[in-house]
Amino acid sequence: MTGSARPNGQAIFALVLLMANTVYASQIFKLGVPFSNGVEPGASFLPVLLSAVLYLAAGRILIAELRNSRSVEAPAADAKSDHVPAIGIVGPLVIAILTMGFAAGLERVGYIAAAGAYTFAVALYFNFEGGGRLMRSVIVSAMTGVLITSFGWLFFVKLFDLYLPTWSY
Amino acid sequence: MLDLLGGFSTLFTLWPFLYLVGGFLLGLFFGAIPGLTATLAIALLLPFTFGMEVTNALVMVMGIYMAGIYAGSITGITLNIPGAPSGAITSIDGHALMKKGEGAQALSLDAFASSVGGMVGALILMLLAQPIGALALYFRTPEKFSLVLLAVVTVTIVSRGSLWKAIIAMTLGLMISTVGIDPMVPKGRFDFGSYHLVEGIGLLPAVIGLFAICELLVQATIPARNAMGVAVADMPRLRHRDFVPDFRIVREIGAWLYIKSSIIGVLIGMLPGGGASMASFIAYAEAKRTAKKPEEFGQGSHQGLAASESANNAMCGGAIIPLLTLGIPGDAVTAIIFGVFLIHGLVPGPGLLTQHADAIAPMFAALFVASAFVMVSVIAFGPFYMRLAQINRGVLYGFIAMISMAGVYASSFSGFQMWMALAIGIFAFALRRFGYPAVPMLMGVILGPYLEKFLRGSMIVSQGDPLIFVTSPFSLMFLVMTAVFIWLLRLRPGVRG
Repeated sequence: MTGSARPNGQAIFALVLLMANTVYASQIFKLGVPFSNGVEPGASFLPVLLSAVLYLAAGRILIAELRNSRSVEAPAADAKSDHVPAIGIVGPLVIAILTMGFAAGLERVGYIAAAGAYTFAVALYFNFEGGGRLMRSVIVSAMTGVLITSFGWLFFVKLFDLYLPTWSY
Repeated sequence: MLDLLGGFSTLFTLWPFLYLVGGFLLGLFFGAIPGLTATLAIALLLPFTFGMEVTNALVMVMGIYMAGIYAGSITGITLNIPGAPSGAITSIDGHALMKKGEGAQALSLDAFASSVGGMVGALILMLLAQPIGALALYFRTPEKFSLVLLAVVTVTIVSRGSLWKAIIAMTLGLMISTVGIDPMVPKGRFDFGSYHLVEGIGLLPAVIGLFAICELLVQATIPARNAMGVAVADMPRLRHRDFVPDFRIVREIGAWLYIKSSIIGVLIGMLPGGGASMASFIAYAEAKRTAKKPEEFGQGSHQGLAASESANNAMCGGAIIPLLTLGIPGDAVTAIIFGVFLIHGLVPGPGLLTQHADAIAPMFAALFVASAFVMVSVIAFGPFYMRLAQINRGVLYGFIAMISMAGVYASSFSGFQMWMALAIGIFAFALRRFGYPAVPMLMGVILGPYLEKFLRGSMIVSQGDPLIFVTSPFSLMFLVMTAVFIWLLRLRPGVRG
């Protein structure tokens, strides 16, 4: 495989932007014509303009990238971790999944349980990646989870009088 | 009339003063940790401001801003890893001095220059804010449109890297701003049938997503040994008194260099898209151009250190001027400060200084006092600065993760907004991986509604005649400035090759 005709990451991302722009543009038709009364810009005027600019700019990048055999602005290669394989993919994936878990769980299990588990897990990822010692990482992360969760409750609820959900069952 | 003395007396009451000190320490901490910035600190503070009085919120933000910009140079000097981009130029001579064994003096001169720059910036802010605010009262919708357009274009063209990517980032931000109720007629747009989207995408999830969640994801890709840099074991042990500046060196640098660099910082700060990095770079280049020994620059020049650091802290005062008087945030930090105002029902722009002087005056005073704190802080905390980059990453990012997500929920009572922050964060992470800048996107989210409202309002007034934008002198001036900036910043460098 020479790779000369293979689209690179930059081109694929530009293509994703073009597809997202198409989804955006599909809604513009519901907003009426760009100029109401023939002269005054209406609700669809700016969206039409923005959509056109995005097609032009993303199209320009896509064509430039496809003309090059390799991306001229490829993302820098990720550094290697001693304890987490493929850290450039696994790291953000773990954090994104944990954050989704927090967002899904906050209203169901309440702040204390959700934030405790979330901060423990995030701290565990970073501690384990840094030291590689699982038991030590678990202990430090558990303490971190308790401290940060308590801090959050004190600041949000007690000091600033904001609402956070509690266990509702 | 802005009662500046009243502002100082309000600031020196218990709670505002404590908020200022708290904000300053938070900014110092975030600015000094590589990867964290004043922008992130203010973004994380945003949810808390819902529960604060407006004066306390603004005072705290000023403390973070001043300390965060200053602290970006601390680890730049000690470890050659700038805590924030604003500290990159200072690191060149600062770290060279560190290697010569003059680290404490470099940190001390750095703090002195930041302090002087910050104070000059705050004084110019106090001096200019009212006249510019009074002038801005004459602006009608065409002038306002041209001004917002100037900000949108300038922020896009000053972004580093590909212009096309900056244009895409700005366009995406503007597109996000079109989601929700139309600014001119009560009609939902781009809601895809979801009642959540009819409300639009709030500033808070956009800020938290773009800066906090995105940073969390980026940090998860960096191994600890790369993030933490060198060990502190090799650093010399220093005492508090080592951090008192040597006034012989200050005299050698000269008062004019401090003042000139500070004025450059203020002017750059006033430009949309200016920012601390550009201010320090231009002041450094100017100091080198006029120096008696330019060959010392880069090898540990006291003048180089003083010029870059005076300018980047003076920039803070300059950046606040267009925000308060014209309602135009010039960079990410002022864009988030714009959000703090909106949260409290205040709209930055003409009239703010006259209608809410009691809330704004302590903010000005806070910027000045925070500048003085910089000098005090280096003497108090200097010996500990060497260890700032060694903080446990689990604690740091666990804290940022929880504050970000719980903060969005606590301030909006909406699980949907949390999901939105996460979605924007993941999208911003992808943008960053492929070299698209985040700041134009945030500016697009913030300025989008104003751009559209002023454009459509002007066209309705003129019955569709676009000449309305060139018949008003101020509007024409802003359009000419836009064209001049495009020429100076993008076209001329291209022509010169």
